[in-house]
Amino acid sequence: MISVRGVRKSFGSATVLDGIDLEVHRGEVVSILGSSGSGKSTLVRCINGLEKLDGGRITVDDFDVSHPKQLAEARKRSATVFQLFNLYPHMTAVQNVTLAPIQVLKQSRTQAESAARALLDSVGLGARADAYPAQLSGGQRQRVGICRALAMKPSYLLLDEITSALDPEMTAEVLSILARLAKTGTTMVFVTHEIEFARTISSRIVFLDKGQLVVDLPTGQFFAPDGGMSKPRIAQFLSKMRKD
Amino acid sequence: MMRYTSFTSYDFILLAQGLGVSLALFLATTLIGLFVGTMWAIIRFYRVPVLTQFITFFAELLKNSPVLVQLFLVFFGLPALAKINITPVEAAVITLSGNTAAFIYVIAVSAIESIGRDQIESARVFGLSRWQVLRHVIAPQAVAFAIGPLTGLLVNQLQVTSLISVIGVVDLTKIGNILNLRTLKPFIVWTVVGGLYYVTAKLIAYGGARLEQRLRAHTAWKGL
Ligand SMILES: Nc1ncnc2c1ncn2[C@@H]1O[C@H](COP(=O)(O)OP(=O)(O)OP(=O)(O)O)[C@@H](O)[C@H]1O
Ligand SMILES: [Mg+2]
Repeated sequence: MISVRGVRKSFGSATVLDGIDLEVHRGEVVSILGSSGSGKSTLVRCINGLEKLDGGRITVDDFDVSHPKQLAEARKRSATVFQLFNLYPHMTAVQNVTLAPIQVLKQSRTQAESAARALLDSVGLGARADAYPAQLSGGQRQRVGICRALAMKPSYLLLDEITSALDPEMTAEVLSILARLAKTGTTMVFVTHEIEFARTISSRIVFLDKGQLVVDLPTGQFFAPDGGMSKPRIAQFLSKMRKD
Repeated sequence: MMRYTSFTSYDFILLAQGLGVSLALFLATTLIGLFVGTMWAIIRFYRVPVLTQFITFFAELLKNSPVLVQLFLVFFGLPALAKINITPVEAAVITLSGNTAAFIYVIAVSAIESIGRDQIESARVFGLSRWQVLRHVIAPQAVAFAIGPLTGLLVNQLQVTSLISVIGVVDLTKIGNILNLRTLKPFIVWTVVGGLYYVTAKLIAYGGARLEQRLRAHTAWKGL
């Protein structure tokens, strides 16, 4: 379980996360919605230990991300896919995927490589496994990014707007992979602006507004007129997103 | 006694010896400078308190004062202060190594900083230690980035070695001086000496360019 308790985070005088409580259990797909600047990325960066908390506590399977020793354990249990891919440009797709399994999980090179090739194959990149990121399209790069995360066999997958740098066709490529992962029971924390897609794969939807968690509801209730939609802020957000 | 002013074949051996001394000093101080400067940059990468500030300050001192003054300080100043004996070669090695280290430190720091934060963050999130990130993500890219400025620096440091002739190291420039005094043909002597430095510098530049090509040829990320 990922547990977020009373988390606060400020940058200078700006409070970006203002007392967030959230639990993500195994098998759940939790989508985080919210307008730009509401603190979604910051929340993900707090969960994976890239930002120091100013208050509250985050644990991943009971490992506290604020303790350096426990952070290492927490990081073995969750894996992040980034908006801008963040691949290592000097490494081929396979090398990108195998770096952490070899260095962190201490897998043998042969073992890690055959697993990586199988993963790349499963997302349609079998033939591009030895290409460098610069030789791949955006959608292909993001698929490598997903494989890199999956290769760690994480209990939790953190995805921060992983399609927002992609055109619609590439977005569809990447989303279809996520839909498949959701079906196989992969636990995901999914920050997105793809509302309709979130609706199809999420078990719960969380709405962030100005650093506060406004609602946390099962997907059906979130979109129900007497559920999340009854909140003006959310109705307004959804109608704006649908227009775009 | 008549002054023997014509060139002899022995003068070629002298020139070769001088060039050998210059090259040996250049290579030794380059290796030491590379090692020390890189260590300094790694200390800075780990943000070791106090030491990092000290190194930055010390590197600034070395970069912003004349090498000749540093050489005099080491050769005349250190023995006077610490009551030790320092040979001209030792003084030359210490001074040139320190000077090269300071500039390599600057190149290494900017090479490390040229690597995008996002890649480093993703490697950290996947659980790589700072050292593993340095070794597998930063170093390979930083080396490719640094090789150009490094070649430029080394070409320059080769010329700087000529300063050590003033404290009596018999390098190529000192040999030039000796030949000049004997033959009284400064134009020929200094043209030949200058030509030897020139050819050596060109070889260094060529080697650097080749290395850069090789480092980048087996990766297709040079477009990035
Ligand atoms: N490192 C930082 N330093 C200062 N301010 C920051 C930093 N990171 C984020 N912020 C600020 O915190 C707020 C929340 O940013 P965050 O990236 O979490 O929003 P977001 O919900 O992910 O937005 P988007 O949908 O645009 O990605 C913004 O106002 C942003 O400017
Ligand atoms: Mg964001």
